[in-house]
Amino acid sequence: MAVSAKAIKTRIKSVSNTKKITKAMEMVSAAKMRKAVQAALDTREYATTAWDLLINLSKTEKEGMPLLEVRQVKRLLVVLITSNRGLCGSFNSNIIKKTAAQLKDPRNLSMQRARNGHIEPNENLEVDVIGIGRKGADFCKKHGYNLIASFNTISDKPVLEDVMVASQMIIGNYIEKKYDKVVVSYTDYRSAVAQEAKIRQVLPISEFDLEKTITELGRDEDLQDRTLSKDKQEQLNEYLFEPGKKKVLETILPRLVEMQIYQSLLESSASEHSARMLAMKNAGDSANDMIKELNLTYNKTRQAAITQEIAEIAGGAAALS
Amino acid sequence: MIKFSVITPEKKVYENEVFQVSIPTTTGEITVLPGHIPMVSVLQAGEMRIKDKDGEHPYAVSAGFLEVRANNELVILADRAERADTIDLVRAEESRKRAEEEMKKAKAGQDVDYARLQALIDKEMNRIRVGNKYRKLK
Repeated sequence: MAVSAKAIKTRIKSVSNTKKITKAMEMVSAAKMRKAVQAALDTREYATTAWDLLINLSKTEKEGMPLLEVRQVKRLLVVLITSNRGLCGSFNSNIIKKTAAQLKDPRNLSMQRARNGHIEPNENLEVDVIGIGRKGADFCKKHGYNLIASFNTISDKPVLEDVMVASQMIIGNYIEKKYDKVVVSYTDYRSAVAQEAKIRQVLPISEFDLEKTITELGRDEDLQDRTLSKDKQEQLNEYLFEPGKKKVLETILPRLVEMQIYQSLLESSASEHSARMLAMKNAGDSANDMIKELNLTYNKTRQAAITQEIAEIAGGAAALS
Repeated sequence: MIKFSVITPEKKVYENEVFQVSIPTTTGEITVLPGHIPMVSVLQAGEMRIKDKDGEHPYAVSAGFLEVRANNELVILADRAERADTIDLVRAEESRKRAEEEMKKAKAGQDVDYARLQALIDKEMNRIRVGNKYRKLK
């Protein structure tokens, strides 16, 4: 009898307590996930339509539109979207790992793709980070990346206003030429069990990157639809702008950038809750297995103790007679 | 017939074939009929009227933009759009009051986004106006 029955009993109790907690968290995340996923899917419609428009608009001449202007990258801004809370499996570590790998060698990330080849980044490239969600900000502080702002008050159910401050800061800084390129790293929601860490260019608005994102977004039947409509659009790309091209673009472009950031946040939020639900489910399952095993050991120990006691009594009785 | 859809960040509000749509834009109200050339324009908070085979439907829309595509497609991307008869007037009134109060508070302090608050007030005023108009008709 290696372990005392009492010790095992205590252990079983503590494991089942943990199980109760993970079970509760799983259920909470499941409910939150449903909402978050719905929100992400509902916004996808808007976002894809907006991107369609954005692609068409970005093909127009880039003169005088600061948000369309492609320039050599001296300063890069990375917006890192993570969760505020932990206990969500590998959700945060995946996105952080991916971003960190890129941050170690930011030259690739700061390449500007243009119609006529690439524009290499500047020699002394600087990288700043905006952290949305506490975990990402913590990571940056710990590893000495230049964190210029951190937003960690965003709720479980993000609304457009939540990202307004961040997006306005990003757009403002870009227009002032403080940054020459802005990328968002976020987790794309594919399904309840599959999420993918992604890095996507937000500014300058570039048709190359946008087309890539759309083909990624419209995975299934959407895809054929979209390529079809793109052909259609290419025939007639001359738009009438009312009241004026500059005015319209000035209103629309920032709005679409905000939308893109918002969409990334929603995808992240949906992914976070799915990841947490899965992690909690796994934890609950392991707790179950553990309890089963511990129960078996407990019963064996108990039985062994009884057997031994009988043996002792029998031995004692035999000694008396 | 125009293939018409109204999309907000929350959901697709309307999708159907329509005869004509009157839309409030920053340069005044425009009416889009079939065969319109491709156009992009900016929406203003106001009343949008859709004419389809079931008759005319009034909607309250707020900021956003519209895109007329080739092949008779019209897409409206609005921050918010709702049918006039589903507007909750009481709640609209409440949020207008809230926005106005915030505006008053903001006047005292500095560095507040007036434009955004004003837009919010306009939006709620518009909802109330459109909502009221069609409530009376019934």
